[in-house]
Amino acid sequence: MSEAPNPDTVGGLTRRDAVKAFGATLGAAAFARALAPLSEWKDGMDFDSFVQKHYKELGPNDMDVVLRRLEKSTKEEYGADVEIRDIKPLDGVQYGYALNLSTCIGCRKCAEACHIENNHDRATGGSYIRVLEMKQGSIDLEHGDSTYEHPVPQPNRYYMPVQCQQCDNPPCVHVCPVQATWKEKDGIVVIDYNWCIGCRYCEAACPYHARRFNWAKPEIPAEEVNPVQAYLSNRIRPQGVVEKCHFCLHRTREGKQPACLEACPTGARVFGNLLDPNSDIRKVLATKRVFVLKEELGTRPRFFYFFDK
Amino acid sequence: MPSLLIKTFCFLVACALASACNNKEFEVGEDVESPTPLFGTKILLPSGLGEVNTSMTNARGEVVGVRCSTCHSMELGGDVPARKAEELKDFHKDMKFNHGTLDCQSCHNPKDRDTLRLANGDSLAFADTMQLCAQCHGPQMRNYNDGSHGGMNGYWDLSKGPRVRNSCMHCHDVHNPAFPIASPVFAPRDRFLTSEKETHHE
Amino acid sequence: MPRTQHSLTYPQFLLHALRSATDGSKFFYAWMTFLTALVLVGANAWAHQVNNGMALTGMSDQVSWGLYISNFTFLVGLAAGAVMMVIPAYLFDDHEMHDVVILGELLAVAALVMCIMFVVADLGRPDRVWHMIPGIGRFNWPISMLTWDVLVLNGYLIINAHVAGYLLYTRFIGKKPNPKWYLPFVFLSIAWAVSIHTVTAFLYSGLGGRPFWNTAILAPRFLASAFVSGPAFVIVSLQIIRRMTGLKFGDGPMMTLLKIMRVTVVLNLFMLAAEVFTQFYTGGAHVTSAQYLYFGLHGKHALVPWIWTAIFLNVTAAIMLMTPKAKTNMAWLNTACVMTFIGVWIEKGMGLIIPGFIPSTLHELVEYVPTLLEWKVMVGIWAAGILIYTLLLKAATPILTDKARAHQADED
Repeated sequence: MSEAPNPDTVGGLTRRDAVKAFGATLGAAAFARALAPLSEWKDGMDFDSFVQKHYKELGPNDMDVVLRRLEKSTKEEYGADVEIRDIKPLDGVQYGYALNLSTCIGCRKCAEACHIENNHDRATGGSYIRVLEMKQGSIDLEHGDSTYEHPVPQPNRYYMPVQCQQCDNPPCVHVCPVQATWKEKDGIVVIDYNWCIGCRYCEAACPYHARRFNWAKPEIPAEEVNPVQAYLSNRIRPQGVVEKCHFCLHRTREGKQPACLEACPTGARVFGNLLDPNSDIRKVLATKRVFVLKEELGTRPRFFYFFDK
Repeated sequence: MPSLLIKTFCFLVACALASACNNKEFEVGEDVESPTPLFGTKILLPSGLGEVNTSMTNARGEVVGVRCSTCHSMELGGDVPARKAEELKDFHKDMKFNHGTLDCQSCHNPKDRDTLRLANGDSLAFADTMQLCAQCHGPQMRNYNDGSHGGMNGYWDLSKGPRVRNSCMHCHDVHNPAFPIASPVFAPRDRFLTSEKETHHE
Repeated sequence: MPRTQHSLTYPQFLLHALRSATDGSKFFYAWMTFLTALVLVGANAWAHQVNNGMALTGMSDQVSWGLYISNFTFLVGLAAGAVMMVIPAYLFDDHEMHDVVILGELLAVAALVMCIMFVVADLGRPDRVWHMIPGIGRFNWPISMLTWDVLVLNGYLIINAHVAGYLLYTRFIGKKPNPKWYLPFVFLSIAWAVSIHTVTAFLYSGLGGRPFWNTAILAPRFLASAFVSGPAFVIVSLQIIRRMTGLKFGDGPMMTLLKIMRVTVVLNLFMLAAEVFTQFYTGGAHVTSAQYLYFGLHGKHALVPWIWTAIFLNVTAAIMLMTPKAKTNMAWLNTACVMTFIGVWIEKGMGLIIPGFIPSTLHELVEYVPTLLEWKVMVGIWAAGILIYTLLLKAATPILTDKARAHQADED
């Protein structure tokens, strides 16, 4: 179908086309303007961070490069000199943790120690440990209260700290779409904070409220930063990723006790190697009546609770 | 057409089975030989054992304590040694005593005030007070030795580093041993987590 | 018959799409500008969220999924609901439906794009989306149900886009479509539609730590509500399309969808009743979330008005749809459709996703109220989806009314 040349066109373009082009340009500009806040977000947006491979695919040299880069950015963002290491699991070690419910007084010193050791955001007072005040005679968490502020211990109450159970059948590991979390060979379930996409499916899957999300960038004054850090544990986590208790692997993989255990004034916490028949944890398992939380879910935790009597 | 559907179905079933098999059980592994402890466990003792504090301080600002025999060698206690805290009228008045049905002579040696004594009459140095605790509180002592009572600083792996522990007396006042009530560290400050009110339900 | 030169006609097809997307009445321009404005508001809100963190939302460690995932879940259902047009058209030879089934497929495309946008909006690190790409990133398939969801949703998008695109293109160039290029995909899409919502349900129902979701009936419930919301939307939108475009079709497709809805609304309510009975009769741990949802718990009752509104809307709509008036009175039918659409949206989102988190796994009662930012992002994504659907319809209807045709090189 041929048409007579239209006097309103310029080189085949109609006036309508020109208006459309103008509108499109305006729209594109408005869109760019709308997305302007994105340009302020620089966290991990340099090329090296963007393309960094998964932890399991980093060779020793790659890992060194990553660690130095992270130390440098910690210095820039927080003003703190830190040393981040990649500490591998020990051979012949499977960690277990036990908690004496007869001795725990609910002081929350363990939660505080975790807060300090693991460089948690100061404003929200985060900690991987949550202490529940339970009614005597029931282990139903429905009757637990984590918000108590009264002096402890109260009569007819017992106290149950809950943290990541480092399950042998971990639901969080199963659901992660990108394998950002996995169980290491010594039993600790870890997260690669630089691989996590922040979908929070693991947080939905965990039956123990062990996983936490960085809703904002953690804020810690430089002088309060714990400079002894590890890649998979207590380095300062970026915004938008999930984190959780890692049994202080930067300490325990060197034979030290986790920070929460050291802080406990009554000694209700027992930690050690499940494979060593003479370890403290094995003695607890052999002599005490231990139970685990939500056993019916089949998660097979590494965290055991017991009463003295 | 139907063959494509059947093939797709079989593929999906195979995948489901694969996922079930992939879900391998985490193998905890065999027991290992217990590592030789190369480091020891140090048990701290509190200051002031076997001493009574005076109101004086020394040049370093520390409270001066006197050994029991300082006064007791002068037989200030009278002819019959006190058995109950209520009998103490002039000295040791500010001491709080609440240790079950024990009386003073259960642990203190009236013949040698600088030592304690066990139930069979054997003398015990003040530095060995923990043994006296263990005499009656065997379960707690066994727990303590097994690492499930009393806490520690240091290493879980004694082949890599030492341990430091408190004695019983650090936490438990021997005359009033009930663990003191204290204020806890602040509650979680999660966004939107408010304090639960005690309400009646079901 | 001159051989079709696809290298010439396909660009024409695309150009037609572009032209028709930007040509229209003043009303069309106003509509598109309005939608674009909403999209920009949403995009800006999302940019703030990425920059300052998801602390700008109302989510918490206790309720870690909120408005975005609720809408995502609902929209997967809407996309699956399009299959309720495909089944009559292709399996039962409903010829009237066959003429309009493509509108359902285009709806599925728009809905799926919205689903993907909601998922990306919910990610803490959208810059790391590439971590999910198999081969380049690490794709935890087949264990993670989220990976299944990624596969089935994208697959369904491709299937529907292909079928609709193929049929539109062949019509555009005036050729009879070759059955082997679209019929297998149509039949695949029927099974696939069921799979997308089943997989989405499995995301939730497999979590042992969430007793409110850990029930076998969750997947059937999802499907039933999808087959309510999909047809409801299509019934109303078909009438709008018939009025606004030159597309001519009778009431047949709407009546077929009404017949389907008469079954699915009842099924949906029945399964809800079955869930409610099991929860409340047994009591114990499984009832606390349901208790919170329907009656409030420990003084917290933010969701109670929502769920009862949803129940009222769904029950009333069900009754309205069962009456003979639904067949004859379009206003009656449309009201019922709108009511049940909203009812299912509430019931899926606030009635299913949020209560799963309340109380938390440690029985902390933390409520969730979306912030203005979340509403903005939600509105922005819905506007984007409607915008995409409008554009698709705008491109498709001239082809379907045979007004747009390719120019062959040796034709004149």
